[in-house]
This record gives sequence, structure tokens and C-alpha cells, in this order.
Amino acid sequence: MKVFVNDREIELKNGSRNLLEALREAGIEIPNLCYLSETSIYGACRMCLVEIDGKEIVTSCTTKPREGMRIKTNTPQIHELRRGILELLLATHNRDCTTCERNGSCKLQKYAEDFGIRNVRFAQIKKNTKTDRSAPIIRDNSKCILCGDCVRVCEEVQGIGVIDFAYRGFSTQVTPVFETELSKTECVYCGQCVAHCPTAALTFRSDLDRLYQALSSGKTVIGMIAPAVRVAVQEDLSMDSDATMAERLVAFLKMSGFSKVFDVAFAADLVAYEEAHELYERVVNNEKLPLLTSCCPAWVKYVEQFYPKYVENLSTVKSPQQALGTIVKKIYAKKIGINPEDIVLVSFMPCTAKKFEAERQEHLGMVDLVLTTKELSQMIKASGINIKQLTPEPFDKPFGISSQGGLNFGKTGGVFATVVEVIRDEMGIENEEYHDLQPGVKSAVLTLKDGRVLKGLVVFGLANARDIMKKVMEKVLDTNIIEVMACNYGCIGGGGQPYPNDSKVRQTRARILKETASIKAINSPVENYYLQKLYQEEFKDQHTRHMIHTEYKPRKRIESEDIEILPLPKEDKTTVKVCLGTSCYMKGSYRVLSQLVESVKKDSLGDEIEVVGTFCLENCDKSPNVMVNDKLISEATLEKVEEVLKECQITKTESQS
Amino acid sequence: MERTFQKVEEILKKHEYKKENLIRILLDVQKQYRYLPEDVINYIGVALQLPPAKIYGVGTFYAQFSLKPKGKYTILLCDGTACHMEGSISLLKAIEEELNIKPGEVTKDLVFSVDQVGCLGACALAPAMVINEEVYGNLTPEKVKEIIKKLKEGEKDAQ
Ligand code: SF4
Ligand code: SF4
Ligand code: SF4
Ligand code: FES
Ligand code: FES
Ligand code: FES
Repeated sequence: MKVFVNDREIELKNGSRNLLEALREAGIEIPNLCYLSETSIYGACRMCLVEIDGKEIVTSCTTKPREGMRIKTNTPQIHELRRGILELLLATHNRDCTTCERNGSCKLQKYAEDFGIRNVRFAQIKKNTKTDRSAPIIRDNSKCILCGDCVRVCEEVQGIGVIDFAYRGFSTQVTPVFETELSKTECVYCGQCVAHCPTAALTFRSDLDRLYQALSSGKTVIGMIAPAVRVAVQEDLSMDSDATMAERLVAFLKMSGFSKVFDVAFAADLVAYEEAHELYERVVNNEKLPLLTSCCPAWVKYVEQFYPKYVENLSTVKSPQQALGTIVKKIYAKKIGINPEDIVLVSFMPCTAKKFEAERQEHLGMVDLVLTTKELSQMIKASGINIKQLTPEPFDKPFGISSQGGLNFGKTGGVFATVVEVIRDEMGIENEEYHDLQPGVKSAVLTLKDGRVLKGLVVFGLANARDIMKKVMEKVLDTNIIEVMACNYGCIGGGGQPYPNDSKVRQTRARILKETASIKAINSPVENYYLQKLYQEEFKDQHTRHMIHTEYKPRKRIESEDIEILPLPKEDKTTVKVCLGTSCYMKGSYRVLSQLVESVKKDSLGDEIEVVGTFCLENCDKSPNVMVNDKLISEATLEKVEEVLKECQITKTESQS
Repeated sequence: MERTFQKVEEILKKHEYKKENLIRILLDVQKQYRYLPEDVINYIGVALQLPPAKIYGVGTFYAQFSLKPKGKYTILLCDGTACHMEGSISLLKAIEEELNIKPGEVTKDLVFSVDQVGCLGACALAPAMVINEEVYGNLTPEKVKEIIKKLKEGEKDAQ
């Protein structure tokens, strides 16, 4: 369509979402502070004003382009309006730019500079805010400009809605329910809110201090680099499409005091190899299907919280980070004769959730420190070393070689494709078909040599995953394996990647990763000599292989106190806890509770019974759950509870007599 | 507290467990408990399949809702200029002594709560306070204690 922009006729692509996108496509980036192409349109900040047909001034993010439209993007009036908006925002903003996490990458700071704001005409107002550092994701509302990007991303892209607007007027804030600390909420730490926050209101924990401590501790510091890091770190270092970046990083880390540097892509090969066999076995035995991949800790936490019945479907193979952590600490340490306690294993990840993963109870002691791409680029910049001039050095053996597949773990579809490579080599594939189901969801149908048909789905974004899980549960979709990456486009879009971190950059990263992978000599983990050697020498049986497996269990979404229903302020009593969490509620726990309350009141269960409600006993796959003192009753009914109560009474009388 | 969930279930049922009726549900909850208790918000989140943060957002947005427990008798003590000059601070002391709570708090039995507010528009009667929409003026600490004592007795009789 033809329009006139600043008195020049230009051609706009038809079907653009709004004027802002259309003009962006045509090379004009209209300033904006609350627009994301990934979410619904909010239209609140008013930065994106343009003048239409010489009369009205409208927000370009909420306006559709129209044939013949006359648009002015930069009149003195608009300029002044934008300056005013910025000054208003700055008046309530905590402006400690030099010590700010987003110094140099903040959109507000950028606009303040672009518009040459040197003094703010309004009096500075301090907002009464607290900083929440309880989780790998940090919230500091003194930096929040209420653009709502995080709220929309968490709810619409990730399907959770951990944070939302609360209060109103000047007191408006973005917060979890009851200002609960993030670590006690259903947040999965994917960092997608961080990736899209224009300011430092949402950031992630930096662990660089701990790295420098480790490097001066005299311990052996070993590094490992994830696939997605090597492509994205370049953005922060004014580099582009350097296929040897990983090897330059190895050189840099060695110069900084690391004694070995391994490639997480090696572990990706290992995981794919193990998972392919796990999948095949489950298909043959027709159990725990569909298999859900478990490489993404945000997805794992999501399943634990929202799909308790499917926790057992998660692949038991550890993620590449934890698998490599395990073999370094349990096998490699012995080989080089160093006590695992004297090793500090540092993993460089695109991901904020990986910080959480390494700290999970079941993984403690394997990976000691998780640093993001962002922290790595800081380290490089602070060193003053021009990494472009470093001679690339290879990763260390024996965990330094990977297949193309292993490297492709960094983007959506990588895990599935690599599992397919293993199946192709070991079981044989007759035929394969791939389809795009919807944005963010791909499907595959493979016919194996033995005649079996294997169906797979590849998903990114947790809201997409939620859609797919719904269809799987309703049996509308039939599949044997689902790969889910929480972040759009996979780990290349992780919350720890450099800013900007939007769909456009992510697509570029995917391309560079693919190019980097394509120069690898080997295609499939099966051809990975060091991997096969590991199996021959170390993983001779199920038992030793067990070390790279783990287990998951249902997890409560929100930590909240128990609810007193029929309290009994007494020491000597029997406490009956009825779970009112989602799974149990859906399975009728409220009915059990009402019946129970009736019976207790009628005294038909004996006295000295206290009834409380609770939100999730972390046994959701066998809901509804009731707990009598410390005995858990799964799939509870009033009868079952009564029975246990009777037993309690008997043992009590016995012990008394 | 046994009533809690029976009542909440009734309210939910009345509004057909529909997300669209969230505000009406919360209004009924507010009426029932005089505030939106945390466990009830979580419970409604479960029942309506809504993120609790969303419900909290609604609950904090509208002035009709309170997130902190309020007493059956909500004492609004004026601290506007006129009342302040006429000694509202000594009234606050009297309330604190009588009820053992500070502004913004509620008594353990949920009967009384006290808040300090700006001008009540009754400056002619300064110092003034409002208890459940009834205005009391020309107060002294003694009078305040008297009023609260009376309400307390009324409560006892009611039981
Ligand atoms: S980290 Fe992910 S889950 Fe947590 S608030 Fe941000 S977007 Fe939501
Ligand atoms: S935290 Fe960041 S993304 Fe969220 S509303 Fe505030 S400024 Fe916007
Ligand atoms: S998709 Fe990758 S980067 Fe994103 S949360 Fe999952 S593991 Fe982390
Ligand atoms: S970007 Fe259009 S109103 Fe904020
Ligand atoms: S909801 Fe998790 S055990 Fe009841
Ligand atoms: S100052 Fe108290 S009523 Fe006006």
C-alpha cells in the first residue's frame, strides 16, 4: 500500500499489525516503551505518537496503516510530547545509571540520551519500593516504568501470570500476589520478563563475584560453555557470525585462570543418545508416553507445578548442564586425581533458570556456578582483551567434541532432531515427515525400519506448551515425544542473553548457530568417538549410567500458610490436612473436606481432631490428598480418612494403657 | 474459621465459578469478611483457574476492597489539620490503650480496627472520628474510651 511518510511517498507491506511495525519495516523506528511484537498491544506509554493526515496525533502501536495515509513521525510537537513523557517517567525513576544493571542497554536511558534530556522539569518523587532478591530473577520496582511488558510476556507467552499490576494511580506496581517473594511463587525463572523489560526493574542475579573468588581460591576452576552462548555473546562484543567464537572463548577463559574448558554440546550429544534409547524403550513398552524432554529447567518446573500427572513422563536423563556436571565431578575428577571438592565447575549459559537448576536439591554439588552470556561478556569487556585478536583454542578433551546435533541444542528443535539422528543410526528410519502446526509448534512423523511409527512435537513458549498439553490430555493430539523449550526460539532466546533479546535477534542467532553447527565434521552423537568411549569405559551397565539420570516430583506453586478450618488449640490432637490445591480441588477435595467437617462436628470420628486446609502436598498426581498427622492418604475419600483416624485412635489408646 | 470455605464455595457457586464474575465474587467475599483474606484469594485462584496475581491486582485496584482485615467496627480517626490542632493524638493514645492496636491494625477478635484519615469534613466538631459511618465529635480521650467500652459491651451481649 502507498502512504506518505514525512511527505515522501513510500510503499508499505500489506497486512502489518500496526503502523509501528509497518514503519519499522520501512526503516523508521518510532520510539516506543510498551510495545512488543510478541504480545497483545497495551498502548499506554504514548511514546509512539505520530501525526495522521495533518490533524490528529495517535499512538502508532494501536493504529492500522491505510492506503494514502499521510503520516508525520517527527514534528516539533511530537518531539516535545515525547520529551514530556520521558521527563515524567524520569521524575519517578531511580536514576542511578552508573551502578545500574542495565547501564548501556536500558531503553529509557537510551531515549533520555536520544532526546537530549539534561534536566527534568518535574520534582523528583521517590517511590516506596523494595527489591526482591529471593530468586535468580530480581525485581526492583524503583526502576519500573509500568510498561506492562513483563506482565504480558509472563501471561501470554509463558502462560503463567506470576506478576501483574496491583494498586492504582501513583501507587500502581507490578508484583506477584500479596507482594510474595518470587522464590515462593510459581515463577519458573525463564527470564522472559527480564528479556523484555526495557529497564532494570527486572534483572537476574549476577554471580561474577563468586567467580573471581573461585579464581583466587587456589582450586581447580573448570569451565563449560553452552551452545547458545557462543552465538549471542558476539552481540555484546561488536562481532557477528564468527564460527570460531567458542574457541576464542576457550582461549579467553584459559587466559583468565580456567584450567580446562569443556563443551556443553558434548553433553548434549550424551543426553540425546541416552534419551533416544529411553524413548525407544518407552515406545516398545508403551509406558510413560509421551516422553517430555527435560533439558529446560523452566519447563521442568512448569510440569512439576501444573502437570503433576505428567511428572513421570519427563525424561529422567539429566539436562546437558547437569549431565556434564555429573561426569566431571564423578568420573573426570577421579581420572585427573583431584578431589571433586577442590574443583569449581563453572557453566556459561544463556539461561537464568539454569542458575535455579544447579541449585536444586537433587543436583547440588555438581555445577558450582552458573554464569549467563551477559556475565561472560562483562568479564571479557572488563579484561580489556580484544577477543577478536585471540587465536582460537580447541575445547579440552575428553568432553570437547560434539556433533552438529549437539550444538543445535541451543535452538528449538535441536533436542528432538538429535534424538532422531541417534534413532536413524541405531534403529533405522524408513520415512519422515515434518509439519508446522502453529507458530511455535512443529510436528514430525517417523516410520522406523522395524515398522513402528514415532510421532514427535517440538514446542517453544510455555503458553504454546500449555495448549499442546491440553490437546494431549484431551487425546486430540497423539504423540510419543514432546520437546519443550520455555523460551521462544529455544535457548538462544534465554533470559541471560544480551539485550535486545527480541524475536528478530533470536532468529539471527538461530541462523548463526546453524551455520556454526554445519561446519562440524560429525552429524550424530553415534559418531562421536569420545562419547562412545565414555559408554565403553564408564557406562558399561545400567547402574553406572544411572548417574546421569534423575527424578522429579510434583511441586507446589505458591507457598502459603495452612488455613484453619476447625482449629483446636491443644497439644494433644490429631490434625487432618485437606489439600485444596488445584489438582486436588479439581478431584473433589472440597467435597471430602465438607464431609469431614460434618463428621467432626457430629463427633462421629472421636474428639480432638483439628481440620486444616493446605495448598498442595506435592503429591498431586494422586489427588485428592489428605494428611492425617504425618500420614499421607492419596486418592482420599471420607471412608479412607475415617479408617486412618480409627487406627490413630487405637494406637493412641494402646499407648495410653 | 470453618465458615470460610463453605461461604466462599457458596459465593463461587452463586456466580457459577465464572472468571468473568471475578469482581462480583470479590465484592461478596469483601462483604462476608470485610476484607479479602490471602487464603481466600488463593482459593478463588484455584477454583477459577486464574493466576492469583491477577486477583490480587483487581483486589488492590478498586477502593471497595480491602486486603487487610478490618474490624466489625472500623474506627476512622481524623488527623486533618483542625482535628490535629484539637488534640487528635491524645485520642489515638486512648484508642491504643483501650484496644491494644495501632493505626492500620485490627484486634485479634476482628471486632475493632483503627485507621488515621485526612479531614472527615466535620471540622466544626473537631476532634472527630467516624465509626461505621457514624460521626462522633468534640471528643476527649475519656469520651473515646467510653464509646469503645459501650461497643465492646454490646458485642458481649450479642454473644
Ligand atoms: S521469569 Fe518467567 S515465569 Fe518468572 S515472572 Fe518472569 S516470565 Fe514469568
Ligand atoms: S518491570 Fe520492566 S517490563 Fe515490567 S512493567 Fe516494569 S518496566 Fe515494564
Ligand atoms: S529454553 Fe533454554 S534458555 Fe530458556 S529457560 Fe529453557 S533451558 Fe533456559
Ligand atoms: S508503544 Fe505505543 S503506546 Fe506505548
Ligand atoms: S494440589 Fe498438589 S497435592 Fe493437592
Ligand atoms: S480536620 Fe478533622 S474533620 Fe476536618
